[in-house]
Amino acid sequence: MEAVIEVNELVKEYMVAKKESGLRGALKSLLFPEKTKVKGVDGISFSIAPGEIVGYIGPNGAGKSTTIKMLTGILHPTSGSIKVCGISPQADRKAVVRKLGVVFGQRTQLYWDLRLGESFELLRRIYQIDKTTYEENLAVLSDVLKLNEFIDTPVRQLSLGQRMRGDLAAAMLHSPEVLFLDEPTIGLDADAKHAIRDFIKEMNRNRGVTVILTTHDLDDVEQLCSRLVVVNHGKVVEDGPIESLIHKLTPHRLLVVELQHPCDDLSHPAAEIIKRDGLKIWYQFEKQRMTAAELISDLSQKLPIQDLSVKEPDIEDAIREVYKTT
Amino acid sequence: MQKMVSSIRHYVSVAACFARLAIQRQLEYPLFLFSWLLMIPIQYFSGIWMLKIIVDRFQPLNGWDFPELTFLYGLGLISHGIFVVFFINTWHIDNMVINGAFDRLLLRPMNVFFQLVASYVNFIGLIDCIPGIIIFIYGCQLAGFEWTAFNIVKLLLVLLGGVFIRAALFISLGTIAFWTKRNASMVSFALAMLERGTMYPLSIYPNVIQVLFTFLIPIGFISFYPAVEFLGKSSGGLQLPLSLALWTPAIGIVCFLLSQWVFRIGMKSYESAGS
Amino acid sequence: MLQAYWYITKMRLLTSLAYRFEVFASVGTNLILMLASVFLWKAAYGGGIQQVNTLNLQDLTTYTILSITLSSMFVCGVQDTIYYKIREGQIVTDFYRPIPLFACYLADDLGGMLSALANKVLPLLLFASLFFGIPWPSSAISLLLFIPSCLLSYGILWLLSALVGLIAFWVMELGNMGIVKDSIVRVLSGSIVPLWFFPESVQTVSKFLPFQYTYQTPLGIYIGTVGTKEALAAMGIQAVWIAFLFILLAAGWKRTKTKTLIQGG
Repeated sequence: MEAVIEVNELVKEYMVAKKESGLRGALKSLLFPEKTKVKGVDGISFSIAPGEIVGYIGPNGAGKSTTIKMLTGILHPTSGSIKVCGISPQADRKAVVRKLGVVFGQRTQLYWDLRLGESFELLRRIYQIDKTTYEENLAVLSDVLKLNEFIDTPVRQLSLGQRMRGDLAAAMLHSPEVLFLDEPTIGLDADAKHAIRDFIKEMNRNRGVTVILTTHDLDDVEQLCSRLVVVNHGKVVEDGPIESLIHKLTPHRLLVVELQHPCDDLSHPAAEIIKRDGLKIWYQFEKQRMTAAELISDLSQKLPIQDLSVKEPDIEDAIREVYKTT
Repeated sequence: MQKMVSSIRHYVSVAACFARLAIQRQLEYPLFLFSWLLMIPIQYFSGIWMLKIIVDRFQPLNGWDFPELTFLYGLGLISHGIFVVFFINTWHIDNMVINGAFDRLLLRPMNVFFQLVASYVNFIGLIDCIPGIIIFIYGCQLAGFEWTAFNIVKLLLVLLGGVFIRAALFISLGTIAFWTKRNASMVSFALAMLERGTMYPLSIYPNVIQVLFTFLIPIGFISFYPAVEFLGKSSGGLQLPLSLALWTPAIGIVCFLLSQWVFRIGMKSYESAGS
Repeated sequence: MLQAYWYITKMRLLTSLAYRFEVFASVGTNLILMLASVFLWKAAYGGGIQQVNTLNLQDLTTYTILSITLSSMFVCGVQDTIYYKIREGQIVTDFYRPIPLFACYLADDLGGMLSALANKVLPLLLFASLFFGIPWPSSAISLLLFIPSCLLSYGILWLLSALVGLIAFWVMELGNMGIVKDSIVRVLSGSIVPLWFFPESVQTVSKFLPFQYTYQTPLGIYIGTVGTKEALAAMGIQAVWIAFLFILLAAGWKRTKTKTLIQGG
C-alpha cells in the first residue's frame, strides 16, 4: 500500500548561540556572540502506512518536536525529503495542512476567553467545511468526546481534560487523514487520559485516521500504538512493533524467590543475583538460555522456597535500555 | 476567475469571523480599557499643548504656526490610530513566535500574513483615533482647511497611504523577530521615530534626516508632505510632479508590497532556522 | 540578607545584558527622542532669538540630552512587575519569600539601573557628544550637587511607581495604571519641556506636586539655572517627598497585605 508519510534521510541543523556564565561572559556575548551548529535531526528515515498508530518517542531534546514540525510543514529540513499523502509540505504547505490535524498538548489553539463553540465556528470557515459535513462531524465528535457538557463554556474555565478534548475536536473537524498528537495526555488525570485514548482508537478504527503520537507516557504507547519509532540524539534507534522491541531490548527476566530460612549457597550458574532483601532474592536470567521452569526446578532442589514470582520486562524497561545504550 | 471569487469570499468570511471574535474577546474585559482611555488622551493632548507652549514662548517652528502644527499633528495621529486598529499584530510577531501561535498559523490552509493581521482587529485602537480626530478638526478650523469634495477624497487617500506606509514599516521590523525572537524594543524604536517624524514638521530637522525620511523610510509622506500641500507651505526643497498629497497612496502601496516581500524572506528564514 | 538583595541585583544585571539586540534598539529609541527634541529647540531658537527665560539654546540642548539619558537610566519596573505578577497569579509565591517584597523589587530595579548605566547611558552620552558637543555642567559644584539630586529623583520616581503598583492589588480590572502615571510624569516633571515655560498657574500648582522634583530639579542644577542655595533647598524638598511617599507606601502596603492575605490573593 502507498505510504501516508514517507521520510527519507531527514536532517535539520540549527545554530545555537553560546552563552557564557558570569558577568564577564555576559559582556563578552553582548559584543561577540559565538554560535555553533547543532544537528537536531540527523538522518531520519521511516515510512508510515495508512491506518497505523505510531508512537514517536525519545528523551527530551532527541529531535521529536523538530521532526513533527518538519512533517507538518512548519519547518523546512536542511536536507532529505518528506512526503505526506504524496505531497511535500515544503512545496505545497496549504495542500498538506488541509489533510492534517495537529494537537500540541502544551498549547491550545482554542480562544481562551471565548466559549468553545466559537473556536469551532472559526475553524469551519478557515477549512471551508460545508454546513452539513460540519454538523455531522461535530455531532460525532460531541458524542465521543462528550463536548455537549461544555461547548458553551469559555475555554479559560475548562478543566485541562476538557480543554484537551476541545483541542482534539478542533483538530478533527475538517476530517483530516493524518493526526499529529504532541504529548496529548500531558498533565491529565487517569479518567481524562482514558477518554482521550478511547477517542484516538475510535478515530483510527472508524475513520481510518493515521496517528503519529509523541509522548512520555508509556501507558499511551502500550494501549495505542502498534508500532514504535524510538529516536535519540536525532537518529532513529529502534523501529518496530512493541512486542519485538521489548523482546529485543530486554532479553532478561526476573525470578523473585522468598526462602523459608536463610541459606548459604544461593548461586546458580545461569542466573545472576541482582538484589537481596532479607529472605527475598532477585535472580536475573536470559530467556534464550533457560526457561523459568528450569531455573525454578534447579533452585528448588537446593533451597527451601516459600514463595516465588516471575517478572516479565515491560515497555518501560525496554525504553530505559534504549536511552541507556545510545 | 470563479476560483478567485470563491477564494476572496473565503478570505472575507474568515476575516469577518476573526473580527467578530476579536470584538467579543475585547468586550470580555471592558474595564480594562479604563487605563488606556485615560492615558492616550493625556499623552496626545499634552503633546499638542507643549507645542503651543513652545510656539507661544518662542516663535513658529520653521514658519509653522500653531494652527498648522495642529493640523499636521492631528493628521499624523489619525493615521496612527487607524494603523493601530488594523495592524497591531505586526507588533507582536516575536510573542507569537515564542509562544507557538505563529506555528499554528502555518498549520492552517490560508495565507500566513493574512491570518497574522486579520486575527486581531484592535478596536481599542479607536481610542487613539479620538484625540486624533479632535485635534485634526480643531487644526482644520484654525488653519482654515476647505472641506471641498476634492480635498476630502485627497484626505482619504492620504490617510490610506499613510496607514500603508506605517504598516510596511512595522511588517519589515516585525520580520526581524523571525531571526532574533524578540523585537519589542524595535517596535518602540519605530514608534518613537514615527511620532517625531510625522507629528512635527519634517523641515525642522537637518537635511540628512529629511532625505532619509523622504526617500529611504518615506514617513514624510504620512503627514508632512500632504500637510504642506493642504496648507500651501514650503516643502523645504522637495519638488515632485503632480500633487504632493497624491504621492502618499502610491508610495504607501509600493512600500506595502515591498514589505510583503521582506516578510516572505523572514518566513523562509524562520522555516529553515527552527529552534 | 544583603547578599540576597545583591544576588537579585546581579541576576537582573546579567539578564538585561543578555538581550543584546534589545539594548541596541533601546539606545536607538532614546537617541531618536533626543535628536528630535534638540532640533525642536533649534527651530524654536532659530532666527536670532538668544535667550528666553534666561535660557539659551545650549542650556536647553544640555537639558534635553541629560533628561533623556536619565529617563533611560531610571528603571522603575516595579509597577509592571506587580501588575503582571498579579495578573498571572505569581504574586503569591513572592509573598512567601523570606525577604520583604518591595525590597526585592527595588534590588531588581537597581540591577536594571546598573546595567543601564553601562549599556545605555554611556552610548547615549557618547552619541550626544558627537552630535552636539559634550554636555558640560555649568560648574564643578553643580555637577557635585547634580549626582545626589539624581539619586533623590530616582527615589521619588521609584516610590511613585511602587504606589501605583499597589493600586493593582485593589483594582486589577482597570488595566495597568502605571501607563497613566507615566504620561502625567512625562509632562509635569519637565522632562520634555521645562516647567519654566509653562503658564504661571501651572507652575504654581506644580510646586506642590512631586513631579517637577524628579527631572527638572536635578537638570536645573546641572545647567546652573538653580543656584547652590536653591539647589540645597530643592534637595530638601526632594527628601521630604521621599519621606512622605515612603510613609504612604508603607501604610498602603500594610493595608493591602491584610486585605490580600484575607482574600487569598
